[in-house]
This record gives sequence, structure tokens and C-alpha cells, in this order.
Amino acid sequence: MAMNDEHEEAARPDDLETSPEELMAMLAAIDVDGALQETAAAAVRATRREVLRSALPLAGAMGAGLLTAGAASAAGGLTANDTAILRFDLALEYLQAGLYTEAERLGAVKPRTLGFSRVVGAHERAHVRAIKGFLGSKAVPSPSFDYRGVTADDAAFVKTAVAFEDLTAALLKWQAPRFDSRSIVAAILTLHSVETRHAAWIRHIVGVLPAATAFDQPAPQNQMAELVASTHFVVSGWSTIAAKRKPGFMG
Amino acid sequence: MTRARLPRVAPVIAVVAAAVAVPLLSGPAHGVEPHAADVHTNAASLFASLGASPRPAFAPGRPQLLSRNTPEYRWATVTRPVTARGAPGGGSAVAALSTRTPEGTTNLVLVLGSAWRHGVEWVHVRLPVLPNNSTGWVPRSALGGYQFVTTHLVIDLHRLRATLMKDGRPIFTAPVGVGEPQWPTPRGEFYVRDELTDYASPFYGPIAFGTSARSSVLTEWPDGGFVGIHGTDEPQLVPGNVSHGCIRMRNSDILRLAKLMPVGTPLTIE
Repeated sequence: MAMNDEHEEAARPDDLETSPEELMAMLAAIDVDGALQETAAAAVRATRREVLRSALPLAGAMGAGLLTAGAASAAGGLTANDTAILRFDLALEYLQAGLYTEAERLGAVKPRTLGFSRVVGAHERAHVRAIKGFLGSKAVPSPSFDYRGVTADDAAFVKTAVAFEDLTAALLKWQAPRFDSRSIVAAILTLHSVETRHAAWIRHIVGVLPAATAFDQPAPQNQMAELVASTHFVVSGWSTIAAKRKPGFMG
Repeated sequence: MTRARLPRVAPVIAVVAAAVAVPLLSGPAHGVEPHAADVHTNAASLFASLGASPRPAFAPGRPQLLSRNTPEYRWATVTRPVTARGAPGGGSAVAALSTRTPEGTTNLVLVLGSAWRHGVEWVHVRLPVLPNNSTGWVPRSALGGYQFVTTHLVIDLHRLRATLMKDGRPIFTAPVGVGEPQWPTPRGEFYVRDELTDYASPFYGPIAFGTSARSSVLTEWPDGGFVGIHGTDEPQLVPGNVSHGCIRMRNSDILRLAKLMPVGTPLTIE
């Protein structure tokens, strides 16, 4: 897979006639050794902290305490603790799925970033479906999002993606030993490795060392909540459906 | 490693694993060579004692790819009062956009495209103003997050039928009542911008959708003379040219449509 995009221009989706099969083969097609060599040669142009800091001014406050949803009562064998953690994860997956979905639909980022968004968006939507289906009636509904132009700005988008993917991998590491159910730990681990691949992939795209440390550290939920809040991506306060208001249309 | 080679190497792997696992798990042998049969037996019992791995509580399954062959439309709320311009980056004023509709709901616009001028993103939007079919440009910062729909409502004024398309296919059709000749329902490209429910007015039926279309004749109508899509207390008049310009449906049809058509759906009246 070619990795040189020095002269890439923003592309519309129609410009990239890639079949779904080809898209799904993109991850497998990455030449890991070549990627590492290229990244090493480029050196580390930004630390993870710098990338994260650059994403923070994207602004805002979380809506209605969504990501800090308290422990729900246990249902279907789920403990309140596990329910609360999974609800947090579902909200985060909604946000990430929405981010990549919008980037793919707008098609305004560079082709290599767009390819990343298509594959990762497909993964995040599958995560949403799985966690939502597992939680059933305990699932939180998706909030509304305003990505504030990030999905149409390649530089802002990749920095945001690095921040979210890095922190998601660290978050799942923090959550795993806190689940009561080993079955849920087993399920979360299947997501965790995928999130780390996402993190390495987007770090390579942005020119940051994909695997920067020998041991990754966990990051607590409040750190992720702070990141989400800082972006102002979660919005509320608008309604296009109204009850009890008599129409004033011409009839 | 190919699947075909696996059976031949599997016994080797098992023996190696057992040879490694037994000393590790049972401690040093202190010069006592374990018998081969004991190695197999001890390894098997040790591995069995580990128990089965817990089955994952859920599995993400296949990646959910977006469809690339169906039409998509996007809309956005108006988050601050703004003047729509005739061109990206400026141009003459086309219309003033407020954050609320006459019905009190959040105002929204259908997005047609975007362009960057001097580092600022401008969005080309369809406007709910006269003359009908007007469009203009507003700064991206004046709009909220993008919402996407794959539905499209088409009103055929000649055949007096409404057809809702989803993913490019018709999923709903029903007869409609439209404007009388002196108050014609306007033709053109519009969008659905709100939905009203639970009001006490049999005239409008159980549900009414507001649209961006406006009467070009009844310009003095209160609340701007917007074209609604709603039910009726006179179903016997549908289909027909019976209204002041609104699109009427039988109540059973408008209830069915409400389950299928989200706000923001583009509307073509032809």
C-alpha cells in the first residue's frame, strides 16, 4: 500500500472507487516494516501529549452528563458496575462512529485519511451495534453531535483521531480489570486490540511513531470524559419536533 | 502457516509445549528425568485444570460499511442569526435566517455543498424564503452539526400522489390533496423542516410537517404562508385540488408517513 501522500488533494468519495472487499483488505495490506521504517526516518515530529493538546482546543462541554452516567440497576445478569462501564463505552463508540461516518460522507479529507475513516468507521459502527445490542434496554441513546468542522479539515481530523484512538486503547486497559464479568472482559479485549491498531494506523498517518512505548499505561474514564468535554462535540438544546403547537400552515 | 500443514506439526507443538509447561508449572525436577508418558499425562491434566476460557459476552461481528450507492442528503440547524449571501465569502444579502421557525422549532437548512474562502468554510444551503427555490451561502460556524437522511419525498401535482423514496427506492405512496388553481402549491425543490404533533386541530389531522415551501400567492398569510404536509378532517376530498397550497393526506397515510420520514428530508414538488 502506497504511503506517500505529499501531493494529495482533498477527494470526494466518488474519486475513490474502492470496493468494500478492497477497503477491508487495507489494514491487512499495510507493510508494517515499511511503515516503521518510514516513521523512524521521519522521526517523532510530535509527542502524544502534543497531539492531544492540539486536539483539546476543539472545544466544549459534554451534554447532560451522558458520559458520566451513573451505575444502572443490573439486568439480565449484568451487574450495575458492568452496566455503567459499558454505557460509558457505548457513548464513546457513538461519538467515534459519528466522527468517522461524517468524515467519510463529506469526503473532504485527504485520500489516505478517507481510507482510514472508511475502515475505522465500519469498525466503530460494529462496536456500537454490538454493545448496544448487548445492553438492550440499558443502552443509552445516541446524543447529537456537532464535530465543528473537524471532519472537513484533514489536519484537525487526524489530530482528533489520534487523541481519541490513543485514549480509547488506554481507557479499555483501565476498564478491563474493573469488570465483574470475565465474559465481558473477553469481549472488551476483542475491541481493545482493534482500537490499538487504529491508534497505530492514524499515528502513522499523522507522522507520529505508531508504537512509541514498550508498555502502554491505562487511562481512567474521567480523562476520556475530559477530552470529550473539551471538544464540545456533544450538543443539545435543539428540537425539530414539537408537541401541542397548532400549525399555522395555509391548510 | 497454512491450514494444510497444521496437522503434521501439531503433535510436535504439543510435545514441545508439554516439555516446557511441566517444568515451569511443577517446579524444577532436581535431576529426575520425567517419563514420556508422565509428561503427556501431567501436561494434559495441567492444561485441563486451567478450565475453558470465558466466552466473550458479545462480539462486534462484521464491520458495518456505509452504502456507497444510495443518495444521501444532509441538513444542519441554524445556531445563530445569520444573513445568507449570494456567494461564498460574501456577495449580496439573499435572506436573513433566524434560529427558530414560526412554529417555534429549531430552524434548519438543507445543505447543498461547501467552499472555503480565506480560511473560512462557507456552506451552500437551500433557503425557506420567497422566491421559492432560493439558495444562499452562510458561514459553517452559523450552523450546527450535520445530520444525514436517505429519504426524499416527491409530490406529483399532476397525478396527485406523494411518494417517499429511501435509499433510492419508493417505500411509501399515497394520494394527496393540493392547492386549488387560484392558490397553487408551489413547484420546486424544498425540504421538511419540522414536525408538529398532539395539537388540538382536526383540520390538520394528527400530524403536520412544516416545509421550506411558501405560497407565492398568499404572501400575507399569518406565519409566512408556509406549505405544510398534514392530515385532514375531510378525507373525502383527497385526492384533489382542494387546499390553499398545503399538501393534505388522509390521516392513516400521514401517520404512516410520519413513521418513515425524518425531518430534513428533501422535498420535490413537480
